[in-house]
Amino acid sequence: MLSESTQLSSASATTNHELARSNSEPAHLKRKKHSNRVFWLQMSPALIVLLIMTIAPAIFLISKSFTNSSLLNANSQFMGLKNYQLVLTDSSQLHAARVTAIFVVLVVLIEMASGLFFAQFLYKKTRANSIAGALLIIPFAVAPAVAAMIFRELLNPNYGWIDYFMGLVGLPAHTDWLGNSVTAWSALVILDVWQWTPFVTLILIAGMSALPAEPLEAAAVDGANAWQIFRHISVRLMAPFIGIALVLRTIQAFKTFDSFLILTGGGPGDSTSPINLEIYRVALQSFRVGYASAMAILLLIVTSILTPALLRILGWATQTEVDK
Amino acid sequence: MSIQLNAHKKRISPVTVLSKTVVWIYISLSMLPIIFMISTSLKDSDVARQMPPQWLFTPKFQNYLNVLVGAGGHSQGFNRLLLNSFIVTFSSTILCLLVAFPAAIALSQPKFTRRKFLSSWILSTYMFPPIVAIIPIFIFAGKINALDTYPVLAIPYAAFNLPIVIWILRSSIEQIPKEIEEAANVDGANGWHYVSKILLPLAIPALATGAILSSILTWNDFLFGLALTRSVAKTAPVGIQEFTGMYGTDWGSLSAASVTIVAPVMIIAIIVRKRIVSGLTFGAVK
Repeated sequence: MLSESTQLSSASATTNHELARSNSEPAHLKRKKHSNRVFWLQMSPALIVLLIMTIAPAIFLISKSFTNSSLLNANSQFMGLKNYQLVLTDSSQLHAARVTAIFVVLVVLIEMASGLFFAQFLYKKTRANSIAGALLIIPFAVAPAVAAMIFRELLNPNYGWIDYFMGLVGLPAHTDWLGNSVTAWSALVILDVWQWTPFVTLILIAGMSALPAEPLEAAAVDGANAWQIFRHISVRLMAPFIGIALVLRTIQAFKTFDSFLILTGGGPGDSTSPINLEIYRVALQSFRVGYASAMAILLLIVTSILTPALLRILGWATQTEVDK
Repeated sequence: MSIQLNAHKKRISPVTVLSKTVVWIYISLSMLPIIFMISTSLKDSDVARQMPPQWLFTPKFQNYLNVLVGAGGHSQGFNRLLLNSFIVTFSSTILCLLVAFPAAIALSQPKFTRRKFLSSWILSTYMFPPIVAIIPIFIFAGKINALDTYPVLAIPYAAFNLPIVIWILRSSIEQIPKEIEEAANVDGANGWHYVSKILLPLAIPALATGAILSSILTWNDFLFGLALTRSVAKTAPVGIQEFTGMYGTDWGSLSAASVTIVAPVMIIAIIVRKRIVSGLTFGAVK
């Protein structure tokens, strides 16, 4: 559909052009070159900004990563690959990488599964569901730094509401949520799930309400039960929306910083310290720029390995919809 | 289009009833942090710490007065931090739209031969981790004495929101029927005339979506404000950390400050939630 309209528009552009000028072929080529130049001109501010934002930092960090550069010491020496060797053999950095990976996989899986479940019961256009939609956008609107502060207060072992509710249902009182690595992890996951599940649900609700009615009705007439309909029809038809939610959440989960710093501060110990927090601390609190640069470059390498796969999912998901 | 499963309407299974109950319990519970934040902001600090929580109380606006008028012993009054956040959000959003709009026009033209490659390259920059860019920005801004100023926040924010805003604009400009452009060509409208008189009015809803999303992301951000400001240009989400001090947390002020950060975004988000969802899915979700 898309390519068809492309052909149509370029064909009619040529016709207009031929009407205007008699020596069509060279002029047409010239015009194409000319319009491409206009496009590049229109693109140039964005391209310059994005190059400065991505390529320039990468070059800077690569050059710093070969030195023992520090903001506290003006002299820096070339160290070759020593920083990389140090990072890759530092058990606390490997631990941080593991924290990031576990966090991303855990929250994305929970949010996708719950979002898919919730969307099944909220997509019909009823009054109640419209209220649900309004309530679901609220966690998305809360600044993550504010959300982390609020959760820290809620989890306060002495005055927090969570402690009170736990007491009500007979769970141990005065639990120091952030003092134990298992409960600190739970707190981080609960915060992220609280903030982002509703957003995933909203994307999937929008996807569900765009589904064609016929296949679902036919399946229902044929006697398929709700689970069969969900598994074999809804999920397949909704695949583009699931793909979009999955990609967006994966990217955002990788960037998560605020909740780690504010809610747990990476603790207790370094049990909840992800790679983002480690880079922040090494670079902006210890000012070891060389070492932090090597960490940042390694993180960049990991994200660039993941990027093509995520882009392919997103390209496929948005294209299917555009072509419809 | 809504789906009617008539066969299932007659007998609602207990599983469905149970699931719906679970969904609504979850939604109610997820409002708890919001209720906590708002009610604490309206309580005196001794009332706020009472357990069990006081559900019925006389709302007091003293916390808001303390936060918005008094300096409260902080490096900057919170009202100043809100102003900083507003200035940075406003300027970065304008900057972002100015750069994104022409790029989105170019990327939506089928005649532009490199548009597919450029579109996906631009989107791939959305995956660039902000923490990686912070190190060079911090060092460079330090060298030119620009730390703790508005531009050192506004420019990176505009840059980091650029990929999403370009994609939002591009997907909506692509929806504009090609016939309109052809008609304009036949009528002899030149490129600039076409963009300003025809494309711009049609793209205003998309520009609004881009502006809203860019504003929310900037207003809510914490990392850049934390790393690149000290006091003069400090933003509100960074400032609320100061309500936790040596002598414990000032819950009332913290909650009142949190509400002032969250409330405007929350109201806007509820009103335009369909646009936000459709924007962040690049138009795939209508």
